[in-house]
Amino acid sequence: MMKRRPDFWTVVTVLIIVTLVVLLIVPILRVLLLSFVDADTGAWTFGNYVEVFTRNYYLTGFKNTLFVGLLGTLGACLLGIPLAFFTARFHLRGRAWISTLAILVLVAPPFIGAYAWIMILGSNGVVTNFFEGFGIEIPTIYGAHGIILVFTLKLFPFVFLMTQTALNAVNKSFEDAAENLGCTPWQRFTKITLPLVFPAISTGAIICFVLAIADFGTPAILGRGFRTLSTIAFAAYRSELGGLPTMAVTVSMIMMAISMLALFAQRRILSRRRYASSLTNLPVKQKLTGWRNVAVHGFCHGVVLLAMLPTLVVVYTSFLKTNGPVFVGGFGLESYSRILRDTPEAIGNSFLFALAAVVLITAFSSLISYVIVRRDTAASGAIDFLMMVPYLVPGVVMAIGFVTTFRSGSFFGLGTATMLVLLYFIRRLPYGVRSTTSSLRQVKPSMEEAAINLGAPPLTAFLKVTIPLIMPGLIVGSLMSFITAINELSGTLIIYDAGTLTMPVKIYLAVLDGEFGLAAALSTVLLLCTGVCVYAVFRFADNRDSAFL
Amino acid sequence: MALVEIDGLRKLYGDVVALSDISITVPSGSFYTLLGPSGCGKTTLLRTIAGFHNQNAGQIRVDGTSIEGLPAYRRDVGMVFQDYAIFPHLSVYDNVAFGLKQRKVPSAEIKSRVGEVLEVVQLGAFEQRMPHELSGGQQQRVGLARAIVIKPKVLLMDEPLSNLDARLRVDLRAELRRIQQDLGITTIYVTHDQEEALAMSDTVCVMYGGVIQQAASPLDIYLRPANRFVATFVGANNFLGVDQNGADLTLRASGADLSDLLSSAQRPVAITSAIRPEAMHVQAGEAAASADRVAIPASIKEVSFIGREMEVFAITKSGEILKSVDRPDPAIIGLTPGSPVTLTAPRNEIIFFEDSETGERLT
Repeated sequence: MMKRRPDFWTVVTVLIIVTLVVLLIVPILRVLLLSFVDADTGAWTFGNYVEVFTRNYYLTGFKNTLFVGLLGTLGACLLGIPLAFFTARFHLRGRAWISTLAILVLVAPPFIGAYAWIMILGSNGVVTNFFEGFGIEIPTIYGAHGIILVFTLKLFPFVFLMTQTALNAVNKSFEDAAENLGCTPWQRFTKITLPLVFPAISTGAIICFVLAIADFGTPAILGRGFRTLSTIAFAAYRSELGGLPTMAVTVSMIMMAISMLALFAQRRILSRRRYASSLTNLPVKQKLTGWRNVAVHGFCHGVVLLAMLPTLVVVYTSFLKTNGPVFVGGFGLESYSRILRDTPEAIGNSFLFALAAVVLITAFSSLISYVIVRRDTAASGAIDFLMMVPYLVPGVVMAIGFVTTFRSGSFFGLGTATMLVLLYFIRRLPYGVRSTTSSLRQVKPSMEEAAINLGAPPLTAFLKVTIPLIMPGLIVGSLMSFITAINELSGTLIIYDAGTLTMPVKIYLAVLDGEFGLAAALSTVLLLCTGVCVYAVFRFADNRDSAFL
Repeated sequence: MALVEIDGLRKLYGDVVALSDISITVPSGSFYTLLGPSGCGKTTLLRTIAGFHNQNAGQIRVDGTSIEGLPAYRRDVGMVFQDYAIFPHLSVYDNVAFGLKQRKVPSAEIKSRVGEVLEVVQLGAFEQRMPHELSGGQQQRVGLARAIVIKPKVLLMDEPLSNLDARLRVDLRAELRRIQQDLGITTIYVTHDQEEALAMSDTVCVMYGGVIQQAASPLDIYLRPANRFVATFVGANNFLGVDQNGADLTLRASGADLSDLLSSAQRPVAITSAIRPEAMHVQAGEAAASADRVAIPASIKEVSFIGREMEVFAITKSGEILKSVDRPDPAIIGLTPGSPVTLTAPRNEIIFFEDSETGERLT
């Protein structure tokens, strides 16, 4: 047989694998190895893990993380499931409005919610002061309950959107059959409908849990002495600067292990529940009357408005008249002129880094999705699997891995800006790949074969035929990765230096300094560009709700 | 126009043999059909010729030159796909011009060649249409135009008519054959539809289990099937058990002596006989055998009248179910299940096979 040159897609597959090894596997392995190193002697040890599981400081953080993670997830389910059920099963005014607001809540940067709640319920918050006027002291937002509240209101859209999609796909005949066999509506819901959508609920819940465990901004802003693993890891990293960040990485590895165990457990439970359903009999929406109608409307609109409240407060605050950090009453644009004067580079950096990352993401996600969908090799299976990893690895872990692997002076010395771009690239790549992959799955392989058969080399066939056909998915994926990249905080905080300040970092620092006007103006800029991207996703996506999950 | 020779081709998927020692010759300008049930390897063979699969062994030669080292995009074989594979983002014109642009044909020539070929497939007025504005049949004509406009050495067609409705399939079948003959282009055509294969082809190649069962003219395939599989797959057939007793060869269903039809030297251990349904004539009640016809007593199982003809299913005393396709006879159509009948068939239309799935024909 004649020896052929390796074909184009084999070369691409190798390129992708190399990129993922260097930017994903190596940093994570570095972090993993470092957690087994003694900071003083440099020798191999289990001491770091022993310390985490014996010292109260860490154990409390571990318990706190699980506590707020589980309760935040529970809260998200308690809001998300009824909301999904009501919108899927009852005639509801403003249904599109509710799902649009839920999506905006979902994509808004998490730390904005945290500090907006300080302005509402903090020691000097609007509501706190209001009640103080009557001599009533209400508990402030700081501490575990505040974090749980923010997680609940921030994360419920995941449960809501996933459950709603599943509810819309439940064959009505199942519910009719249950009723015919003598179930009351409540029994029908608990015995038939709920079990059928359980896989979707649990997927939504697991996303909430993983995000809650890894979240840094909320506990950092609202914790006030209540520490979770992510704030402990960050504090450890700061105090270990100059030395080996062994405790920071050990704590990070435990965070990652919790996420992975949770996902693994969910997959195990789901593997025994696979329901095939043909959509012959579409669910119908019931019309409610009287107090039930009022209550359901009140609940649905109330939940999304409450969740939107922080955003509205932030936008409102940004237009308040300020003198330095102090609000002086009335409206004004001082906050905006301050961000333009004091931190124009944060805005510029944010856009520059996020856009650079998105360019890379767009190019790679089109190639990766082709390899995943069209090539049936062990390598493409491995790439598909690796695309799940960035979801599970907290930003702190990835960033510490990047710093220890790529910090100048090490083998691959990279500049801070390059490191940030690559960090955003690798962390947000799965958003691009997922959207592009689902688009490509709808393109028949015979399209590319026809182009090749007509004389187009593989790259030409890809550019002239495949790319135009997956363009909507590619655009949606790029927008989603842009939104999530420009809002990245936890990883950036580890890596940034004076010259590479970004908007989320500046907001975080401003909140810590009590500069709420400045933070609000920057947050409004972030929210605005997030909103524009969401609008663009609505324009291009086939299914606007599922594009965001 | 080109001569295609395939020599000892083997293709494995892991341990599964998809193609086993395929050797065929497709004469220049001929219409060659690969016919077989799904999973028989016909599409794998076609895609290997197109270069979408690499063979594990064997050679494919076009006009004496091996094309094995050429990637799919340099093979210069046109292909028409089962699902049309018309690029949905390009107009009819741009779809047809795609291959010419890849070949860097000057744009004036592209324009005239696309115009000509669209006339050939009767889509002259559709140049600027988008694919979603076309019917399935029109899309498949675009697929054909796009494949032939590059004047490929060989034209490959992968079940091009199977997604169309029955009526259109028959019309387009005749048109495809006419265009192929006008252009004199060597064509390899894949189908599982035996009627299509018999109607269009110069040569029909029946495949089963990755192995070629028989490659011959449509008439030979039908009248002289090489083995029992071909006899079953192309047209219907009644297989009747025969008993060997010393030098005697008898039909199990009636005891008729068939010794004279198959010499003892040609007889393997297990033998079966075959009679086409259209050779079987049904009579009500009992009838005697004649010098040139066998008579098989049976009882009616089911009679269906389908207009031009009637189909009779009857059970013999030995439990075999026989099918007869005959001119409608009111006396038979009125019979209820269980009524005694006699099926007769000319002795010279009985053929014998070795009794196995692909057992060879013995006469």
